[in-house]
Amino acid sequence: MESVDGAVRTLPSIGRLSRGLPFGRPHGQFGLSPSGRLLPPALRSQENADPRRTAFLLHKQWTLYSVTPLYRFSNTRLRDYARLLSAFIAAEKQKGLAVEIGVELDIKVAVSSIPDLKGSDQDQAAILVQLSLRSPASSKNSEEKLIWLGWFCCVSGDDLSENVPEDFTCLPLFLANGAESYTSIVGSWFQKTFDCCFRRLAISPLNLSWMAAMWTGCKVDKTASAMELVFSVPHLPQPLDISYAIHPEDAKALWDTVQKTPGEITQEEVDVFMDCLYSHFHRHFKIHLSATKLVKVSTAVASAHCDGIIKVRF
Amino acid sequence: MDEILAEYIRRTVLKIPRDEIKTVLQTWGFLSEAQLQTVNFHQIKENISQDVVRLCEENSADIKQAAVLDIIYNHIYSDKRVWSVYQMSKTGEETEFFDLTDFKKKFKRRLRSALKNVTINFREYEDNSIWIRIAWGTPYKKPNQYKSSYVVYHSQTPYVFISASVLKSTLPLLCQALVVASNYRDIREMELRSHSLNSLKDIVFKRYSQNFQTYYPRPLQERNVAPESADLRIVQENRHEKERIERVNRKVFGDGPQPKLEFAQYKLETMFKSDPKMGVLDKKEPFRCLVKFSSPHLLESLKSLAPAGMADAPLSPLLTCIPQKARNYFKIREKKGIFPGSFVSP
Repeated sequence: MESVDGAVRTLPSIGRLSRGLPFGRPHGQFGLSPSGRLLPPALRSQENADPRRTAFLLHKQWTLYSVTPLYRFSNTRLRDYARLLSAFIAAEKQKGLAVEIGVELDIKVAVSSIPDLKGSDQDQAAILVQLSLRSPASSKNSEEKLIWLGWFCCVSGDDLSENVPEDFTCLPLFLANGAESYTSIVGSWFQKTFDCCFRRLAISPLNLSWMAAMWTGCKVDKTASAMELVFSVPHLPQPLDISYAIHPEDAKALWDTVQKTPGEITQEEVDVFMDCLYSHFHRHFKIHLSATKLVKVSTAVASAHCDGIIKVRF
Repeated sequence: MDEILAEYIRRTVLKIPRDEIKTVLQTWGFLSEAQLQTVNFHQIKENISQDVVRLCEENSADIKQAAVLDIIYNHIYSDKRVWSVYQMSKTGEETEFFDLTDFKKKFKRRLRSALKNVTINFREYEDNSIWIRIAWGTPYKKPNQYKSSYVVYHSQTPYVFISASVLKSTLPLLCQALVVASNYRDIREMELRSHSLNSLKDIVFKRYSQNFQTYYPRPLQERNVAPESADLRIVQENRHEKERIERVNRKVFGDGPQPKLEFAQYKLETMFKSDPKMGVLDKKEPFRCLVKFSSPHLLESLKSLAPAGMADAPLSPLLTCIPQKARNYFKIREKKGIFPGSFVSP
């Protein structure tokens, strides 16, 4: 599942980005091809996509997990899954292991498929799990309150799904928004039911630099927020964090002169882009950012933290 | 004692760590020792705070006493606020006799003439500092005790340490009152900020140790662990480089502990320079960046950068000038007409 990390780069393309957004195709251990990567349309199915159906993923903070292929998962049984998961959560609550919530409250589970969310035609449609609270004490048509969201998706193109044996479904990326206790209950139900395994997904500095470059290249309006890189300096007696924020227009102007290969982004271009920013920094402060650790990238389009937390704004 | 005041005292007590509530109340001195004996300081803070409020009601506390308790709290836990340094100036060099009573009177009069609804309290400390607490209201609203400003003034110096209220509009009025009350002509922000009030004082009063000891080399560990097979010249060169870094670092930072600052900020509006062969960004406009450094102890961490191999030695003057220039907020522009690589900060 190493290449899932690389697949994370494609996430913002799920939003309402312009068609030209670079779309990564992970190869090899770090999700990188040695030469570069093609820039196919952001999302093939996006042409007919209803933005309202995918709007839920914007402006939320998502924690990333990698998931091994699901055994005997069927898209036609989503209703059953919702019922079973709901029973499982109720049982966990009874055990007292679950979240602190009022006894009167009842959790409703919905599992649905979102065909708009996938990287390529071969990919599985994304699966959305929603937990909402409803209180039986209040009137029947009372509003349900969404308390937790999680979705499985496939953004890695053909590479991963192709080699999956029969009876297995490949949805290698899981994103959760809401209390961790719910993530853990839902996760353990999926692990038990589909014999899969969840793991927190860290984003490597290399992939963060890819995101920085790709997102910088996206067209955004003039009032856009700065492109911010956050570095942490390891192994000092006193920890040090450095935030390096660049005016979005200036960052884009730099990237536009660096990005030369038509229809493609190469590792070399990403390296040159970061090296240019590092040397500008070094000229002022005499500090080698290349020796520090890039921990967070934040642009007007999206932000990503090395701990595997992302937020898509656009 | 009204409910708002009772709640204010209760919340102030809740802010204090439980083990220290008794000491703080003793410093306050508003409740008698006999009264304090009746409070069980081992119960949960919620209950302690209610007991304290009950005793304050017995003594019919007013806002003045509550404000003093808040000053005591902020004096002990001054690290909870962010402090900015301001410098006042006057035309002549004449030193005037400082009269505290006169200062207080003028300060109050000035503020009250502009705004009726303010709570102003003073407390003097042994280090010759005057702590001033101001809670701000509006012409129609009572002062908001929770959003007060703090001023620490050392009367023999032109420096004032202000922890401003979140009510930003009150700052000009506060500065005006300070200038008038202390017989100065002008006041300006020094762009030096920290949580550590003491470190700010160390910097502006030049109290931090800058004793540059004469250099006597200590044997470096590497001498003993160097593998025998390694090229002796490389070992030698590495050692020389390490010694050079240490020497340069000591020259720049001194030997003593650094004053404590948590952040430094640089707004860069300088040209982007790159290798012409790379053919990237050749712009005549400045490249706009905002760089922020943060650390629980910024200057110590900057000091350790070069020895850790993360930075050149010496480190950039932009960073090492912080204590001497007494500022940690900068705007950097390109020096015009001079060779590249030099910057100015206004």
